[in-house]
Amino acid sequence: MSTATDARSLDQGVPPARYARGWHCLGLAATFRDGKPHAIRAFDGKLVVWEDSKGDLNVLDAYCRHMGGDLTQGEVKGDDVACPFHDWRWGGDGKCKAIPYARRVPLRAKTQRYETAIVNDQLFIWFDPEGSEADRSILPYQLPGLAEGEYADWSWNITEIEGSNCRELIDNVSDMAHFYYVHFSFPTSFRNVFEGHLATQYMESTGRPDKAGGYSSAGTDLFLKSEATYYGPSYMINWLWVDYKGFKTEVILINTHIATSPNSFTLQYGITVKKPEGMDDATVAFIAEKYTKMFGEGFLQDVHIWKNKIAVQNPLLCEEDGPVYQLRRWYEQFYVDKADIVPEMVERFEFEVDTTKANEYWHEEVAENLRKKAAEDAAAGLPVAH
Amino acid sequence: MVSFAPTSSETVEDQRRYTQARLVEVACLDCLAVVRVKKNSEHQTSIQWDSTSLEHCTEFARAASQPEGRPIRVGCSRLRSSIEQAVKDGAIEVGAEDGY
Repeated sequence: MSTATDARSLDQGVPPARYARGWHCLGLAATFRDGKPHAIRAFDGKLVVWEDSKGDLNVLDAYCRHMGGDLTQGEVKGDDVACPFHDWRWGGDGKCKAIPYARRVPLRAKTQRYETAIVNDQLFIWFDPEGSEADRSILPYQLPGLAEGEYADWSWNITEIEGSNCRELIDNVSDMAHFYYVHFSFPTSFRNVFEGHLATQYMESTGRPDKAGGYSSAGTDLFLKSEATYYGPSYMINWLWVDYKGFKTEVILINTHIATSPNSFTLQYGITVKKPEGMDDATVAFIAEKYTKMFGEGFLQDVHIWKNKIAVQNPLLCEEDGPVYQLRRWYEQFYVDKADIVPEMVERFEFEVDTTKANEYWHEEVAENLRKKAAEDAAAGLPVAH
Repeated sequence: MVSFAPTSSETVEDQRRYTQARLVEVACLDCLAVVRVKKNSEHQTSIQWDSTSLEHCTEFARAASQPEGRPIRVGCSRLRSSIEQAVKDGAIEVGAEDGY
């Protein structure tokens, strides 16, 4: 677009021709346990999810291999899902179990099925364009104490994002500065580690006193310690230790997505709060609701940026930026054949910024401003402000 | 297989610049691990490991033998000291070159 020779070009690149290999979260398992077939948009298509009589959740491609009927609009009959078009019955193993009007079922009546797992009350499927066997050794981390009732019920949200590749969401892992500008929080310590199929962000921050909304709702009284880890390409567990005026809360934020096309994805986020000792359920639910609102607002701040930005393969960085190139190199492992994963994609990389010193300066500046204001107020004969 | 393919050769050079340039080898003072390090400023550090250095790190090996395994967030304190020493010795140049 630009003609100046020294002007930098934005390389928008080519979106991937496939979807990420790994475990993908489809949502809270309980939402699928009502005896009906459910539809999930995923990977340029649709999936059907239902519970069988044994209580197992099954996931198949949504379209009947007979004439393409939409199984999500059918019915659960016994253990199978029945197509609304001609009542073909499909089992969780992907095989057609019965065709009520036919003498026998064709031998080739097999459809695409997905291996499932339940972790943290959520349903996962294994997806791999190469068709590899599900790797249960890399299932996301099961939160200790969750099954034992130590946490509030999940508050779960689903948002469709149109016009963005899901890598925009991943980029946030390394994007230190956006927490300040988009979420109004002030990072003091920031750390990334990428290794194997895991990518971690560790951050300590406070709310910005000059902004309202986002993570600064409570101003500088809010001290936030956050550890977020991606377990594979799409499922992040974020531990948040919030200290508000000495009141400490442990919040778990799940941030997970399913790519629906190269240019859209479904974002799901869930929040739970560890029940403090001796606190009644209503208060815990109230706190959970508060944080759901706060972090929900945080996501919407991101979404607004994504919807209006363009893809950039060649971001220009300043020395205060996080390691977005290394993060994308890590993310690439899920988009190549397993045999094509090169060591750089999975080798351990650490990036650390400790701005404690810079913040000392920042806090001194604020203190100096407050001193000046107090002196001016005193000279003007105003009462001392508290 | 095409994934997030750049459309310009300059992008490939940027990828090299941001991930490979100015990394300096630092040998741990306590074990045989050799990693590559870059410091954009006093308070910033990048550490690039490889499979060999990871195998050599005794602190990581100890952490891995714990029942809960080695948490990936935690770095090696001995390596951190070794890097600090390398900075003091002037082996690592502190400062970025036009943002990388």
